[in-house]
Formats: sequence, C-alpha cells, structure tokens
Amino acid sequence: MGIRQVALLGAVIAVLSGCAGSGGAIPVVDSGRPVSNEDMRTGAGRVGTSTPQAPATQQDSGVVVMVPDGQGGSSAVQSYPLDNQPSISSGGITSSPAVGSGPGSSSGALQADEQLDGPVLALLTTARQQESNGDLNGANASLERAMRIAPREPQVLYRLAQVRLSQGDAAQAEQLARRGLAYASGRPSLQAGLWELVAQAREQQGDAAGAEQARQRARVSS
Amino acid sequence: MANKRKSRGKGKSRGRSRIWGWLLKLGLVGLVLVGALAVYLDAIVQEKFSGKRWAVPAKVFARPLELYAGRPLSRDDFLTELKALGYRQSNAANGPGQMAVGGSRIDVYTRGFQFFEGAERAQRVSVRFDGNRVASISGAQDLIMARLEPLMIGGIYPAHNEDRILIRLDQAPPYLVDSLVAVEDREFFQHFGVSPKGIARAMFVNLTTGSLRQGGSTLTQQLVKNFYLTADRNIIRKGLEAMMAVLLELHYSKEEILEAYLNEVFLGQDGNRAVHGFGLASQYYFAQPLQELQLHQVALLVGMVKGASYYNPRRNPERATTRRNLVLDLMAEQGMISQQEATDAKNKPLDVTQGGSLANTSYPAFMDLVKRQLRADYRDEDLTSEGLRIFTSFDPLLQHKAETAVQGTLKRFGETPDKKPLEAAMVVTGAQTGEVLAVVGGANPRFSGFNRALDASRPIGSLIKPAIYLTALEKPERYSLITPIDDDPITLEAEPGKTWSPQNYDRQSHGRVPLYLALAKSYNQAAVRLGTEVGVDSVLNTVRRLGVDHDWPAYPAMLLGSGAMTPMQVADMYQTIANGGFNTPLRAIRNVLTAQGEPLKRYPFEVRQRFDSATIYLTQQAMTHVMTEGTGRSAYNHVSSNIRLAGKTGTTNDLRDSWFAGFSDDLVAVAWVGRDDNDRTRLTGATGALQVWNGFMGAAHPQSLADVPPAEIVTAWADPLTGLGSDPSCEGSVEIPFRAGYEPLPGPGCKPVIDTEVIRDGANRVLDTIRDWLR
Repeated sequence: MGIRQVALLGAVIAVLSGCAGSGGAIPVVDSGRPVSNEDMRTGAGRVGTSTPQAPATQQDSGVVVMVPDGQGGSSAVQSYPLDNQPSISSGGITSSPAVGSGPGSSSGALQADEQLDGPVLALLTTARQQESNGDLNGANASLERAMRIAPREPQVLYRLAQVRLSQGDAAQAEQLARRGLAYASGRPSLQAGLWELVAQAREQQGDAAGAEQARQRARVSS
Repeated sequence: MANKRKSRGKGKSRGRSRIWGWLLKLGLVGLVLVGALAVYLDAIVQEKFSGKRWAVPAKVFARPLELYAGRPLSRDDFLTELKALGYRQSNAANGPGQMAVGGSRIDVYTRGFQFFEGAERAQRVSVRFDGNRVASISGAQDLIMARLEPLMIGGIYPAHNEDRILIRLDQAPPYLVDSLVAVEDREFFQHFGVSPKGIARAMFVNLTTGSLRQGGSTLTQQLVKNFYLTADRNIIRKGLEAMMAVLLELHYSKEEILEAYLNEVFLGQDGNRAVHGFGLASQYYFAQPLQELQLHQVALLVGMVKGASYYNPRRNPERATTRRNLVLDLMAEQGMISQQEATDAKNKPLDVTQGGSLANTSYPAFMDLVKRQLRADYRDEDLTSEGLRIFTSFDPLLQHKAETAVQGTLKRFGETPDKKPLEAAMVVTGAQTGEVLAVVGGANPRFSGFNRALDASRPIGSLIKPAIYLTALEKPERYSLITPIDDDPITLEAEPGKTWSPQNYDRQSHGRVPLYLALAKSYNQAAVRLGTEVGVDSVLNTVRRLGVDHDWPAYPAMLLGSGAMTPMQVADMYQTIANGGFNTPLRAIRNVLTAQGEPLKRYPFEVRQRFDSATIYLTQQAMTHVMTEGTGRSAYNHVSSNIRLAGKTGTTNDLRDSWFAGFSDDLVAVAWVGRDDNDRTRLTGATGALQVWNGFMGAAHPQSLADVPPAEIVTAWADPLTGLGSDPSCEGSVEIPFRAGYEPLPGPGCKPVIDTEVIRDGANRVLDTIRDWLR
C-alpha cells in the first residue's frame, strides 16, 4: 500500500482507457456501454443511438391535391392562377375522394401515393365545391375544420392561404403559406407552390422585391 | 196646483225622457269609446303579433364533436358527450337522439344541425373504439366523417330576462297539442276567443266551492294575458283580456295562436332566467329537443302549465308526478291514448335531468370570455334579442377534466393553516389552432364572480425563463442547447443605487451547467446571468413578440418574473412556443349565424410568424427536459413516459403564486394556484399548479410532441459538460440538435482501435487484484 501501488493503478488505468481525450471525470472501473446508454437516454434530445430518426421521409410521399409531382405530365403549381379557380375545381379532387385513382390528365389529379387521411381529403373536396360556388367563407370554414384535424398538413395550409388570397386578405395568405412551409420540408413541389403563394401575396401587398425573392425560392424548390 | 202637478208631472216625464236622452247619449258615447278602444286594442294586438314577437337571447354552442377513424376519443368520453346532449338508450338507435351502447361500439342516430359551413344531416353512425381512439365509423354509403350537433352551453341575457327556443307547430311531438287542449281549454277549436261555457263552468265551480278555483280562461285569453298585459288581476283587465282575445281570433288562425302559445307559456325559472315555451322547457328539463319527447314527458310539461313552480319536477317531484298522472288519465279518458299506454307512461320515472349535469351546468368563465369577444363586435341589444347562434371552440369534455383537476387537487391540498381558501384558475387552448377549449375561473367553476383566468394578474415567476432562453437561442453563433452557463452567485444593480443578488431556490450554486439544464432545473443565477448577457430589454421584447403586451420596466428583477400576467396571457405566450413560433390571437368564437341560420360573421384563424421554427424547436427541446429531468418530472406519474411534453414551473416570492404552463402536441394548458388576498400559499410551481396540470393532462390523453425537426436543424454528438463536439463512442456524449451550420465539429472517437474484449477481461482481473491491494 503505497506510492508504488497507486502509481501502478494509474498506469493500468492509463493503458486501459483508450478514451483519455474525452475529458471530464475519469471513472475507474464503471466505464461501459450500459451506463453511457442510459446517460444518452436522459440526455439532450432524448434520441439515443438506438432510435434512428424517421422524420420527414414519412410525409415525403404524400403530395398533392393541387401540387402535382411532375410525373404524368401535369403542369406545375403556378398553373393555378387565382382568377381561374373554378377550372381547377372542375378537375382534381372534386372528382372523387377516392385515393390513388388519379386519371393523370387533369392537373389537380391525385397521385398514387396520396397520403391524406379520409376526413382531411373529404373536407378539401368540400372546400373546393364551396369555392367554386363562390362561397369563400364556407370554403374557409371547411378548411379550418380540416386544419383542426391535421394541423400540420401543409396542403391544408396551402389551400387556406389560397382562399384567403382570393378574399383579399393577402397578409394572412402570406402568413399561412409561410406556416405551410414550416411543415413542408422534404416536399419540394409543395414548397415551390407555397413560395409562389407567398410571392402573389406579397405582390398584392405591394412588395415587389419581396415577391421576387419568394419567386426565386419557388424556382429553387421546384 | 194642478198646473203645478201637471207641470210637475210634465216635468217628471220630461225629466225621464231627459234621462233617457242622456242615457242614449251616454250609450252612444260609450259605444264610440268601446269602438275606439277596440280599434286601439286591435292595433296593439296586430302590431305585436305580426312583428317580431319575442326578443330571443343569443345562443352559445360548444364545438361539435367530430367523428372519423383515428380520432383520439375514448368510449367513455363519447358517452359523456352523448348523455349531455340528451341521447336516449335504445336497442337499435333508429331515430334521431337515440343511441345503442355496446362494449367497444356505440351506434348513434345524430340529430343533424345547421352549421356555418353547411348542414349536417341526421344519420345513423356506428362508432367503434380501440382504446382512446375511434377505430372506425360506418353508416350510410361510405361515411368518412360525421358530426354530432353541438351542445348549447348558454345564452346571452340581460340581467332579468325570458329565454326561449322558438318552435314551429309542426315540431310539436305527438299528443302535445291534444293534451294541452284537453287539459287547459277543451273548446279551443270551437270558441271565438272567449268561452261562455267555460266561464259558466268556472263560475259554477267558484260559487259552489266558495273560492276562486277556476279562471275559465281560454288558451287565447292566457296568451293575451301573458303576451300583452301585466300581471295584476282585476275586472277591467279581465274585460280587456276578453276583448283582445276576440280580436286576436278575428285576425289569426287557431294554428297561429296555438304556435304562439306554445312559445309563450311560462314553464320555469332558472335563476334570473325565465324559461318560456315548450322548446326551451324540453331542453331545460330533459336536455332533449322537443320533437323527441315521449308521452310521459309531454304529459309532465302540459301538467306544469297550471303552475310551473308549484309543479316543478326537480323541486317537487311528487306533486309533479301526481299532476302528470292526472294529465295521462285525462288523455286516456278522452280516448287519445289507451288505458294501457296511460298505465305504462304512469309507471315511468319523471326522467328529468339533474341540475349540475354536463348539459345544465353553466360555464361562467368561458361565457365571460365569449361575451367580451362578442361585445367588441355587437351591441348588447342585438346579443340579447336577435336570437344569434354563436359557435365557439369550447370543449365540454376537456372543461370537465380541467374542472375535476382544479377541484380535486385543491381538495387534496386541504385547508391552509390559516383556513383561508386557496384559489386556482386554468386555461386550455388548442396548441396548433389557438382556440380556447376550456376555462376555469376559480376553485368553484360554477361561481360566476371574479374570473381569475382572465382577470387575476399575478407575477409569473420562472414562467418568464423560456423567453430568456429563446432570446439567447436566437443567437446561434453564441448559444446552443449545451453552451455552458455559469450558475455562480451574481450581484447586479437592480435599480439605481440598489444591488440585487438573486438566489437559487435550493440556495446552492451549481457551477457551469449546460444551457438546457439550467432551464430544466430552473436555476435562477444562471437565468439572470444569461438574461443580462442578452439584455433585459431584449428579453422583454421577446415576451411582446410571444404575444403579450406589457409595460414592464427593464429591471433585472423582470428576469425572474416579477412582471404580472393573467393565466390567459400566459396561455397566449406559451401558445406561440407550442405553435412553432407562430402567434395566433386566442379565439373562443368560430362564427356566428343569424336566427334563421344565415352566416353572419366569421372569426378566422390568423397567424403571425414571430420566431423562426428552428429557434422554437430548440426552445421546445429545452422545455421537454423540464419534464424529463427538471422541475416538471412529476407529470410522468400521470402521463405515459412515451408522450413528449414541454413546460415550465413558476413560483413567486414567498410562495405566493404557483404556476405551471406546458403543452403537448395538441394542448396548451396553464394552471395557477394562489390566493385572492395574495398571501402565501406554501406551494411552489411544482407542488401546486403542476399538480393541477398533471391531473388535467393525465385525463386529457395528450398527443406526444412531434419530433420531426425543421429543415434547419441538424443533430451532432457533443459532450454536455464542455459543450464541445464529441463522438457517439464516448461515454456521456449525447446527440443534440443544433441549428444547421452551428453544430460543433465531431470530437475524436473513444473506441480503442483494436478489439479490446479479451484485454478488458484480463484488465478487469488485474483491477480486481489492485482493489484487493488497496483494501
């Protein structure tokens, strides 16, 4: 029991722990995976190594209603000028709430990988009909109903922004489109559509430079 | 003399004729007067009857319950809602207002309703449950979604007022009209407003019994009495009543008069509110629409016409039962129903809802909020008379849970040592929508006095801290979640000439702690140091951007929450954090319809982006640590640990106010516990308000916070002690989200290059030997 033993101990530790550079306290024996695993679990992020994140990919696939994927020859989002609304509603989702039977010919056709839930899809359909009947308030209310069911669904926010823009509320249209963008990561065509809406909203508010910026983002996204 | 006599006789006859003349003239004048009176009365009768007959208070509705596959909703909650809406058990649910309840499946026949965005039709829906979710719904065709009609939660009345739900004659249930006529006015369809036969019978009864037992009034007279005249009883008024009754019959059909009667008749008193008409009475006593009432219920209401308070079924159930059975006997006697039907109906209970059940409870705190928002747009007289239909976001199920949490928790705390009552308030909003879902204004949620949720402005204590950390995280070049923050003692100039040395709650200093942990553990010294680093005025501006306007001076003490807010303002502030940095003005009203069902006004969803989503995501992450390892840990005794929650405790000086504000993916809830005299409660945020919050969240089945980071977020391995980059192989290193571009460079790995399994085995043996030496 003396300096020699302590020195020996130190030497052994130095040899054994290949982790001298990690800093912090130097534990003697209890270094092992189980402990650090637990630490990681309670650590920041709470995403231990064992739980791989499966984030945006899951939402990735379900675009559409109004934003076609680009396959099937459908035109881009920008092809939905606001003064042209009824023509959109004549094709697209009003045709049928059924999923995955997109005819491919109409620009608003549903894609085979449509991910929207039944009720949200049904409400978007209702909103389309109300909009084409000129009942913008009703369309608004139906879309808000859809938003309460799927608050993060950017397609709902996209449509809501569109309707608000038709009602002349450009400021809210821009905000709603930006909110849609916050939830649209990994969905480039939808992002492009949302940026285009932001651009239109900014134009209506007399912000030409801002509109141009948004258009650039739309081009980058699409 | 003879002359005299003659002249006298002459004078007599002349006098007699003069009297006759006078009488004639008087009679003529009288006739003219009566005629004029009749014309006058006729004008009154017609004017009031043809115009808007009643001032109908605005009706306020809860949110309609939406049904679709996947909706979070437990079978029990669904049943609670159906019962509150007055749905009746039946075997097959084959008519509106009926339900058939099974173990994991409930069939309902909804009633249909006119909503702002369109009509919802009455239909039969089968709802299957799987745990706390709707597994599937089915009905006619491919039913994707359905809505129940919304619960009516109140009306907007002047201080003293009549209330009614107008009905049309064709909405009256079977037997109502027949039994009413049989009981109150048998000759109604024959007479011309007054019934000489009825009067004769009444006089006979009154004479033989020596008291005023029977009025002999026809239904028309009763309507006139209630509709046009004041309550005093005398012979002149009786005459007017008869005249007006005849005039009314001249102008209007029996059906019109009957319909008016059904809507006018007084059927009960509910506090300051007089219950008029069968439509409202049906809701008031049975919580059901009039059309759905069954024979025994109809008989009860008809019996009550004679004296609504004397035969009040809630207060005098025996009297009411006797009277009801009398009506049923009379109906059988007149052949309207068979003897068997009468007997069956007589054997039924009164079926009156209990005052205090979900439907009949009033929600004064929420209604207060609705009225304040309405008064910004409508005049009082429009609200109390136009029969507007106001649709709100109120969720009676969540309200019930919030009330239970408040009352249950306060009861558990027991009496304070000095016997003064503890008070509490709670606000629940939809995290993504900004809609107010529930409001509790005090320890007694039925009491409509001081609405603490809206009006009790109290220092918020540590609830301010997320604003400090958010302000810091907006500077990614300086701060990340693991930037070490110094929690050593700090002394500041508080106001000119005064120093201030804040202390931690446990009176300890904790050295350098990672930023997220400083928030999770609510260290005051670290928060104040960080707050002064980023600037007190920046923090106060962040509070404004979070949605709460204030005029707090930029003193350092503000960093520990000496500024005051109401629970509603706190909800607004936390809403912005819960909602990804988008502030939405909290709304209670969705839209307004006119009495005829025409859309009148919308209160649209509005957002303003105030913070970028990456910064908010990081702030939320730090706040989840409050729940997992900080002051909010006890929440997981009530909520499953796989539900991610975020929140913050707040405690003010000398334990006067106890706060907790927190959110799940779908709900923001703010709880406050304190005292009206602002005295000490001996409760911290964690021991007081958090317990209320836990009680609520435990019952509300919150949805886990989404863990999908925004695009600008990356994760990197780092050492939480130093804040430097690390490697997954290193002990204690954690994977932490950073704003992209500001993540630390990865540190060197900690794994030996060669497989050390064998060596480690041997080494352990060596170490054991060494330990033996040391022992």
